[in-house]
Amino acid sequence: MQKISRRSFLKATAAAGAASASLKFSFSDFAEAAEDAPVEKRHTLCNGCSNLCGLFVHVKNGRVWKAEGNPIHLKNRGKICARGHGMVADIYNPDRVTQPMKRVGEDQFEPISWEQAFAEIGEQLTDIVDRYTGDSVVWMEHGVRGKDYADILLDYIGSPNYITHYATCFTAKTNVWANMMGTNLYGDHENSDYMLFVGRNFAGGILPNGMQKVLKAKEKGAKIVVVDPRCCELAKVADEWIPIRPGTDLAFYLAIAHVIIEEDLKDRKFVREYVENFDEFWNANRNCTPEWAEGITDIPADKIREIARDLAKHAPRSFLEPGYHGLNAHYKNSVQQAQMNIVINALLGNMYQRGGLLPSASIELGQFEPEQQPPEKEMGPRIDGAGEDGKYATVEAARGIPQRIPQLAEEGEVRAIFVYHYNPLRTGPNPEYQKKMKEADLVVSIPIDWNETSYHTADYILPECYFMERAEPPVTTAGHVTHDYPQLAMRTEVVEPMEDTKPLIDIMKGLAKEIGAEEYFDFTVEDQARAMIEPLDISLEQLKEAGCLEFRNQSFDPEFPLSGGEPALDTPSGKVEFSVGIYKANGFSGVPRWIPPKVIPREEDEFRLIHGKQPWHSHHITSNNPYLMEITEMYDGTRMWINKERADQLGIETGDTVVVESEIATKEIEVKATELLHPDCVWVPSAYGGFSEKAETAYGVGINYNDFVSEEIEPIAGSVMGQEVIVKVRKGEK
Amino acid sequence: MAKYAMLIDPSRCTGCAACGIACQLQWQLPKEMHYNHLEFAEKGKYPEAWLEILPVQCQHCEDAPCLKHCPTDATYRREDGIVDVDPEECIECQICVQACPYDVRVVNQETGVPEKCKFCSDFVDQGETPACVSTCMNEVRIFGDLDDPDSEISKAMAKEDTYQLLAEEGTEPRVYYVLKGEKIEFSGK
Repeated sequence: MQKISRRSFLKATAAAGAASASLKFSFSDFAEAAEDAPVEKRHTLCNGCSNLCGLFVHVKNGRVWKAEGNPIHLKNRGKICARGHGMVADIYNPDRVTQPMKRVGEDQFEPISWEQAFAEIGEQLTDIVDRYTGDSVVWMEHGVRGKDYADILLDYIGSPNYITHYATCFTAKTNVWANMMGTNLYGDHENSDYMLFVGRNFAGGILPNGMQKVLKAKEKGAKIVVVDPRCCELAKVADEWIPIRPGTDLAFYLAIAHVIIEEDLKDRKFVREYVENFDEFWNANRNCTPEWAEGITDIPADKIREIARDLAKHAPRSFLEPGYHGLNAHYKNSVQQAQMNIVINALLGNMYQRGGLLPSASIELGQFEPEQQPPEKEMGPRIDGAGEDGKYATVEAARGIPQRIPQLAEEGEVRAIFVYHYNPLRTGPNPEYQKKMKEADLVVSIPIDWNETSYHTADYILPECYFMERAEPPVTTAGHVTHDYPQLAMRTEVVEPMEDTKPLIDIMKGLAKEIGAEEYFDFTVEDQARAMIEPLDISLEQLKEAGCLEFRNQSFDPEFPLSGGEPALDTPSGKVEFSVGIYKANGFSGVPRWIPPKVIPREEDEFRLIHGKQPWHSHHITSNNPYLMEITEMYDGTRMWINKERADQLGIETGDTVVVESEIATKEIEVKATELLHPDCVWVPSAYGGFSEKAETAYGVGINYNDFVSEEIEPIAGSVMGQEVIVKVRKGEK
Repeated sequence: MAKYAMLIDPSRCTGCAACGIACQLQWQLPKEMHYNHLEFAEKGKYPEAWLEILPVQCQHCEDAPCLKHCPTDATYRREDGIVDVDPEECIECQICVQACPYDVRVVNQETGVPEKCKFCSDFVDQGETPACVSTCMNEVRIFGDLDDPDSEISKAMAKEDTYQLLAEEGTEPRVYYVLKGEKIEFSGK
């Protein structure tokens, strides 16, 4: 219980009351009653990005006040970034969808009851499955929190088409690690002596505990080198920022490997015992010297040598950070780039080594099985071709190729689309192309707010309740940063749903009832949670109260996996595979080789358009958040960055409005002329360019890189190649 | 009695702006009102260029111009050194806004009272840490009692070279900045 003096608290909060006047429960009511009210702290997992940091939300008189970080949770260790606070405040955003909606015209919706929505959608879905089979139905989501429920629905109707957003995010990385390593490893930042970050910005795509670990290592004397076309936020605290020509990271990596091999700096024992097809790799890349790479990357050959030698000198307590979104969905050579990340780390022999790369500490969870499961139905091949022979055989089926769906809807192949917690119209390439989704007979969006996809394509909008208004099955906190002890965290209900909204499980139950699948959803989130924690010596109540539990009794043994003394990674050889068999079998090179980016800016007014996460936004998911958009306003956050010298040549100054033009779009935006960007590119934050009139805070603010990018498919991993785009920039009229 | 102060290390800041919004939620401020903010400045020439960030808020000056010029004693100093504002006493003359060399007074549009960072006084009294401190992943700020030699801030102050913003104004701020290389000066931008 906590008290705050009336004088300062009530006075300070009076203004907020007016801002929140449209809410059912006004802030002034709350403040009036607040003085002596007890503060309750309830646990949730932040929904501001996919880290799902642990938050204790303070609730007073049933109203959300503020949050503090869960000190245990691996991803944030007690800290919260701006997005986290913004997500907490956003529960009172007036732009939420407050009840089910039915489209009754272009940009026109009619509120309907849940019963009516379920009945109409159920009838249409049944009709579509009868006429075109279940194969014509797709479920698209950010991934993967709706998967357990989506799978039941898809199994029931006979559809293999579960599709995630990852083609816009990191499919090159996951594809390569699955094939070359059979697992994922993460940097042991805190214990490292030398860290090379390339296209990975812990302070932009924020990992609060990642930053804590990096800075702790720095205090102990570790060196941090950031290679990035932009002096990103992480570069600010690094020892060195080395700008690179965007799209050429692969050449930089090939030259690093060249130095390590040529100067015999590699970990010979590791390569001999744990690497397969080293010779094939080396024979293909003997000419990739630092001098060769200098011309391509714009990084001096001597600097490349220095970095390679420093990595080797500090091995195994050094690594090339395995990365995330940056680089892994961006270029024609993203897959080969991702392969080289593994090659370099393997050459350093840092795998399963403290200070190098480690696996996540993990626990065995129970598996929830509903009592009744849908009878098996015959399904056709995946409609997007992911993982299908003769189509996109090498693409991970579990990720899918979302950018194929609008075209398939237009062609009549896709008849029904469910979109859950996903907004491809704004976060996928080419919004005009994405709008073709509405050509499907039935489009159902399950969002929180009036996002572009819902507003422009959905026949029905079924609003999910806010993340603080629902409980979800527990999740492990593993990934991206390392930890000796596994953890389990849970999102619990902080406050009751304010509006006529429902958690996904209840939405699925409502739909299932109408199509005769009710019995397969006869369970609760608690049933799921209890089954999952069954092997652990904990109670659900314990987990709910703590929010995040750490299992200190589990030992963590970071050693290369062996079986009977032989390497036992989950790869064909059990070793790190420098050459990927499935790539070869499908006509690609098994080992990485130099592939230039697909497009190259050549004229005086041409630039590669690149993007990144601004520290206070999470791509577009936070862009309708009034508090976070106010930060944008304070710091001129929508401006497009352009190299100062290039800007001078074009007569452009900071604050000028410029015209940006690609083959598919022309937009205007203010610029920031900066010394902190490579001359070949312009950079925009990925948060802006809202075009849903009902999401008022985001509407019409700034531009988005996706406006300019055509719908393309990288053939191995299926990524969108989001930075293979050239724009022309000229001074605007304003 | 405690002697509260804050030590800010600008070299650790990566500009995520969590400090600003954590403060807003703590005090339930409307979105336009900020008790703290960041100053961004570029230095050098590409490719030898770098970014500087300076977190700025009320400096809780020992010789505070806002307090000296306040005609009604609405602005007052607590015994622990925290400079606070009593809205009941405020006549909204806004002299304090003009007097503050750090330009950190923000007028509450509802009440007309020029407010500012309070070092989270009410919460500090409950044994808590200011919101801008506790949320920060990079541990840019340390808050504590300079009279306690064992406090984190006393130890850090003993270890680090520090400076104060606009020291020449003689305001004697209770907010100190870690000096690494050249001073990052307050620009007011």
